[in-house]
Amino acid sequence: MISGACLLKKMKKSYLLNTPLVLLFLLSLTACQKRGCTDPNALNYDASAVKDDDNCEYEQFDKQGLLQNLNNNYIIPSYTAYKSAVLTLDSKVDDFVQNPTDSNLISLRAQWHEALLTWQDVAFLNFGPSDYILMVSQTNTFPVDTMLIDSSINDGNWNFDYTSYYDAKGFQALDYLLNKKGKSDTEISQDFATSENKKLYIKDISSDLLNNINYVLDEWTSYSTDFMEDYESNADGSAVSNVVNALCKHYEFYVRRGKVGLPLGVFNGFSQQEMPHLVECYHYGQSLPFAIRAVHSIQQFINGNSYSTNEDGIGLEDYMDFVNAQYNGENLSIATNNQFQLIKDNLSQLNDPLSNEILTNKVNVSNAYENMQQLVPLIKVDMTSALGVLITYQDNDGD
Amino acid sequence: MTEIKKWATHFFSNQVSIYPLVTFRIIFGLMMCYSTLRFINKGWVTDLYVTPKFYFTYYGFDWVKPLNEEGMYFLFYLMVALSIFIAFGLFYRFSAISFFIIFTYVELIDKTNYLNHYYFVSLISFLLVFLPANKYFSLDSYFKICKSHLQVPAWSINSIKLQIIIVYVFAGIAKLNSHWLLDAQPLINWLKHQSDIPIIGGLLTYDFTAYLFSWGGALFDLFIIFFLIHKKTRIAAYGLIILFHVLTAIMFPIGVFPLVMIFSTLIFFSSHFHQSIVQLISKITLKSRSTVIHHFPQYVNSSFLYKILFGIYFTLQLLLPVRYLLYPGKLFWTEQGYRFSWRVMLIEKAGYSQFYVHEAKEDRKLAIDNRVYLTKQQIKMMSTQPDMILQYAQYLSEEYKDSTFIESNGEVISLGKEPKITAKVEVSLFNQGSKPFIDKNVNLTKEKRGFNHKSWILPYEN
Repeated sequence: MISGACLLKKMKKSYLLNTPLVLLFLLSLTACQKRGCTDPNALNYDASAVKDDDNCEYEQFDKQGLLQNLNNNYIIPSYTAYKSAVLTLDSKVDDFVQNPTDSNLISLRAQWHEALLTWQDVAFLNFGPSDYILMVSQTNTFPVDTMLIDSSINDGNWNFDYTSYYDAKGFQALDYLLNKKGKSDTEISQDFATSENKKLYIKDISSDLLNNINYVLDEWTSYSTDFMEDYESNADGSAVSNVVNALCKHYEFYVRRGKVGLPLGVFNGFSQQEMPHLVECYHYGQSLPFAIRAVHSIQQFINGNSYSTNEDGIGLEDYMDFVNAQYNGENLSIATNNQFQLIKDNLSQLNDPLSNEILTNKVNVSNAYENMQQLVPLIKVDMTSALGVLITYQDNDGD
Repeated sequence: MTEIKKWATHFFSNQVSIYPLVTFRIIFGLMMCYSTLRFINKGWVTDLYVTPKFYFTYYGFDWVKPLNEEGMYFLFYLMVALSIFIAFGLFYRFSAISFFIIFTYVELIDKTNYLNHYYFVSLISFLLVFLPANKYFSLDSYFKICKSHLQVPAWSINSIKLQIIIVYVFAGIAKLNSHWLLDAQPLINWLKHQSDIPIIGGLLTYDFTAYLFSWGGALFDLFIIFFLIHKKTRIAAYGLIILFHVLTAIMFPIGVFPLVMIFSTLIFFSSHFHQSIVQLISKITLKSRSTVIHHFPQYVNSSFLYKILFGIYFTLQLLLPVRYLLYPGKLFWTEQGYRFSWRVMLIEKAGYSQFYVHEAKEDRKLAIDNRVYLTKQQIKMMSTQPDMILQYAQYLSEEYKDSTFIESNGEVISLGKEPKITAKVEVSLFNQGSKPFIDKNVNLTKEKRGFNHKSWILPYEN
């Protein structure tokens, strides 16, 4: 710490010279002695220094590098992986439609499961091209409108371009059609064998999924250039701000609320009655793998890990460390990662079907939800504040 | 006694040249015209005064309500016109009064939008109402709507100077706190996001730079005005003013504030300087070869009433920034007595709030989604400011009173006259980690609004 008097004196002296550059020069020449930087992480770490002089120099944070890493090593590979999962899904749908056997159904279902897991890796990238077409709503809205699905198939009449069909298509419509509760695999394949409309409907769902990801990936190719160049500020509408806002919003509303909170009944009026039918993949009877994957992907992204190799790159986490953001006496990045881990552990200890677990093991589900809730201020308040995303909206004088 | 009298005469009733006041009037009018057009152009009239469902009024000003969309736009365009009238000195007194009233009315609608520079504009336009700024080089004097004067009493220029002195000095005093001086907060955080600014960007990531800017900023605010008053150091001081405000404009999204301060401080220059500006303007615009100096009568208005009025005004100006001392607790945490005190860029605060409506019988609660009632900006501001938290809670109580809910299990729940509202709020100050901000069990419906200490704010623990 530079002593107040020491600095003040120098400031006043050079103040008369009226040029800050001279001031800067003078100050750097006449640093107080026997002090130095005591932070081992700093570039100018002085092992012999006893007292910290607050003059630690750090590597500049490479914001362009952050955006390049996120784009090249996470966003593009994850979109590509999701596209290939949907392509395979689409071909499995073709196989099943042409030949609706039990084994083709099982094979299709396995690919549907895989594609939905991969969807969790990209769902929170809900800005830019993905946001233009409301990809999240188009891809995985739940619960689905089973009446609309049934009547559309019955009438042979549907249009997936209408927003009214957002809850009658996508992965959750496939859940309803491929995993219908109370029906055996043979009965389900039989239903398809006897209904041309059903075949067309399911085929349209997979084509729709494919069209959306094709559009988004195409658009990203041009969008990513601007994205990586937009590193000068974190103001509203900048790349960092878009990433952080999309991620926080997705976690808060689709993961915490949608995947656990709503079925648990947390948002269901005063009585907070459980609403088990609101779980993701209600008919399939497995919801937890998707919830765990969603939490995990967001964590990977924040840490800047490579999508394919999991190698640690420049991430939002490093940015938090760069600004030395703290939480309860530890680094915010550590606190955030611990919270992610706790949530994953909590969710792993639950048993599917989640719709059942909510009723029979409510205490543990509630506990998991509480921990998911705790992550919200960590990313929405602490992380955004650390990244300087919040301070920039309209004119501001910082209060 | 005679010394005091001499001093008072010097600063109050002495006759001085009107030129500084004339350029101030023109510059202020043009700046207000620009900033109002900018405000309209950015779509903020709709965003801030049409879109919201609920407005955070100031205590005692709950009767202030926005007009409809057409009405609000009309007012803003009216302000554009009035500011041009002020610049040209046409129907000056009427224009100044109208501008002050409309501008202040708009500011009073929602404290979400409070900015120190808006407050400054309100105060200056209030002062302008009383100043004889149209007595020369104005359309009023040209059309002989008012009498022309070349000399005005000293108080008319000194009151603007005094107001500007108050802004800088109090802004400087506000910086004399341990966060600003010892930890270089919040600049140490903010500058780190600015490392990509050309040329100086590289310097901004050093902790050292944050300390330099913090200490430099505090010293600048505290002392710059005295160098500006002093004739010998004036040019250099004004150079520093330009440098300082341009730097802040590059680094922070503070809108027209730097512009306002750079131009307002011109008032400290000599009357000769201002005379040459006026002559320059008249040369360019009126193409007249030289301004003919007539012998105008002296403008005398140093009435007792004015003295009293200005006495009260400036006493208030001196007291408002220190009223926070009457409240217990940490100012930056509770923000009790924070506004109207020239605290600029002092804190970095972010919050998260979850409100609940309770039913009386079993005290079960319903979670509120803030986005249903508030805009993004309102949520952001409300989540860190206790008076706004209380206002929003009482608005929710009002919204939910006497309402009936049919639950998914068929149970019917009726809320009474004053439904209990609680809130769980987490706030992070200076990136030190979010912490509980208010007592999450307190029924906010029952808490009184006003200037009393809010005991339900939890103490700040570092």
